[in-house]
Amino acid sequence: MNNIDTAGAHAGGVPAIRVVIVDDHAIFRSGLKADLDARVTVVGEAGTVEQAIAVIAQTRPEVVLLDVHLPGGLGGGGREVIAGSAALLGSTRFLALSVSDAAEDVVSVIRAGARGYVTKSISGTEITDAVLRVAGGDAVFSPRLAGFVLDAFGTAPADIADDELDRLSARELEVMRLIARGYSYKEVAKELFISIKTVETHVSAVLRKLQLSSRHELTKWAAERRLL
Amino acid sequence: MTTAMTRPPLVRSSDRVIAGVCSGLAAHLGWSVRMVRIGMVVAALAGGAGLAFYAWLWIMVPTSDENAKRNARRPASPIAPAVSAPAPLPVPPDFMPGPVPAAATFPGTAALNDAPAPAVPSGVAAGAAATTGITSGGPGAAISGGTDGGTSAGSGAGAPWFRVRSMPYGKEILLGAGLLLAGGILIARMLGVDVPLGTLIPAAAILGGAAIAWMQLDETRRAGLLDKTKADQAGGWARLAAGLALVVAGVLVMVSGSGSWEQTWLALLASVAVLGGVALVLLPWGLKFWRDLEAERAGRVRATERAEIAAHLHDSVLQTLALIQRRAGNENDVVRLARAQERELRGWLYRDPDKDAGQLSERIKAAAAEVEDSLGHAVDVVSVGDTAMTARHEALVQASREAMVNASRHGGGAVSVYLEVADGGAEVYVKDRGPGFDPQTVPADRMGVRESIVGRMNRHGGTAVISSSADGTEVRLRLPSDAADNGEGKS
Repeated sequence: MNNIDTAGAHAGGVPAIRVVIVDDHAIFRSGLKADLDARVTVVGEAGTVEQAIAVIAQTRPEVVLLDVHLPGGLGGGGREVIAGSAALLGSTRFLALSVSDAAEDVVSVIRAGARGYVTKSISGTEITDAVLRVAGGDAVFSPRLAGFVLDAFGTAPADIADDELDRLSARELEVMRLIARGYSYKEVAKELFISIKTVETHVSAVLRKLQLSSRHELTKWAAERRLL
Repeated sequence: MTTAMTRPPLVRSSDRVIAGVCSGLAAHLGWSVRMVRIGMVVAALAGGAGLAFYAWLWIMVPTSDENAKRNARRPASPIAPAVSAPAPLPVPPDFMPGPVPAAATFPGTAALNDAPAPAVPSGVAAGAAATTGITSGGPGAAISGGTDGGTSAGSGAGAPWFRVRSMPYGKEILLGAGLLLAGGILIARMLGVDVPLGTLIPAAAILGGAAIAWMQLDETRRAGLLDKTKADQAGGWARLAAGLALVVAGVLVMVSGSGSWEQTWLALLASVAVLGGVALVLLPWGLKFWRDLEAERAGRVRATERAEIAAHLHDSVLQTLALIQRRAGNENDVVRLARAQERELRGWLYRDPDKDAGQLSERIKAAAAEVEDSLGHAVDVVSVGDTAMTARHEALVQASREAMVNASRHGGGAVSVYLEVADGGAEVYVKDRGPGFDPQTVPADRMGVRESIVGRMNRHGGTAVISSSADGTEVRLRLPSDAADNGEGKS
């Protein structure tokens, strides 16, 4: 996952991705800003839910790096920011960023509409890669998020692979497993003898299922962890 | 009578003969002190009415010092504008200051709490005749004033019985009317009209007493009470009405029914009824104290929790921060400390109380933490599913630990560990991003891989596969669940 596979995208004079950083810790914001490389440019920062919604509406960035836990608003944190920016969801994509490992934090922000989830401990290059991937319309799964997905959907493959929301197909399960094992997209592609684009398609499909599924096991799983 | 007049506040004056009541009253009404005193003596001779009035005012009217203190504490006294406003206050009903609704909604309580105030504009006009009203209404006022004191005169609030607050000084009018009625009844009795006073007085007393009892609960308390008993507002009032009926009926039976019926049966009935009434009257206090107790207990629990958190933070985070400051020069140490502390804090914050430490995932995580601490490289564990530990799982944990040590030592970077437990068995994947090696070329004397990982797994009926490339190395350990018996047999 830490290898940029849309390599050609930024090589020639492609303009940098416009990013807004939303985090309540100014130290973390400035540190992250310094870590991100030249492929992205930070056009705004916000520390609370209200600020975030205002800044996003004003600057209309391509990607928002969004902390799950934020002060202000109604206490909904990152979820509330996504809900408040619902009108922009077509053009602005959200990448959740958190120190929290808790399943409820991760899955609730994904179900609110975030395109991915990474932990704050990953390096600036990895975050930049994740930003580029999200900006390209793909999903970003950390090993932990893949673990949550496998936990929620179960590890048995669906009988009907195609368009069922409630289960993962055998291929999607394989991809999720490899990501949970720490494989990058490139390594997953190599391992399964498929293209990176196909890996991204599978991951996006899993993301969609995670966001849309009303499968009762998922509901139960989420309810047990006080999600939804 | 309802117009606000500019009067000095009604207080007991320091210029006094007995208690300063007469001079205070005179100052308040603008009459001469001598006139008031003479009137009081005359009233006292008329059946002791003056004495009772004097005593009541003595009890209820504050001294000027007390009054000053009280006003300082409650600048926006809800009652003050009615009688003792220092400035003219033509208060429109909808323009009353904040605390007014609280006090004005329950005319009875509010009026009785500050009994001296309403007595003056309305009650005094009734003159000596009103003293009867004081003797019947007085005890209630004294009780109310005694329990409530000066602490919260505006506390007796609740849903309105009648919309008196839409009238200016409604409560004063109400009390005055009550006093007039009482005085009228007394005069009628003196003139020979037969008023069933023996029935009316206890009934009125009980009614007033019960009302006061219920009004002692302020609005929030009553709301909480209704919530607690799962009763809605209507149910609460129904209960109040039933209680009142009980009290009245009980006392009526006791007062009027003696002699003619069977004594024992009657006494029993009456006692039960009175007891029920008393219980109902005392219920609010009981619940109030119970709620106070509960609130205090909850506060104690919170304090204990807070102390526990503080103790934990002190033992762990603060100590680590101190260590980090002392070791700021050594990057490795700082990273290791921060990482260990983070793990510890995470475990404390997100631990699942349903899971005990005997579970496989917990053991794998513990092994990862151990490796992380000893070698200084991050080991991230992702687990899906879980199972209870057995002796074979212990072997899996040991093999995983060995794989983590190797990955951390030779990989030289973060190590990813993935544990999946399904019906078929348990699998552990340990992946690093090191330069890789060829498993075939591992020297025979390197016990780590050959013996600790592969051999151990094989002995317990599992498998170990090591794949390595330039991108890194992955150890795949698999322990089928159905191989329990022959696995144990082999080892």
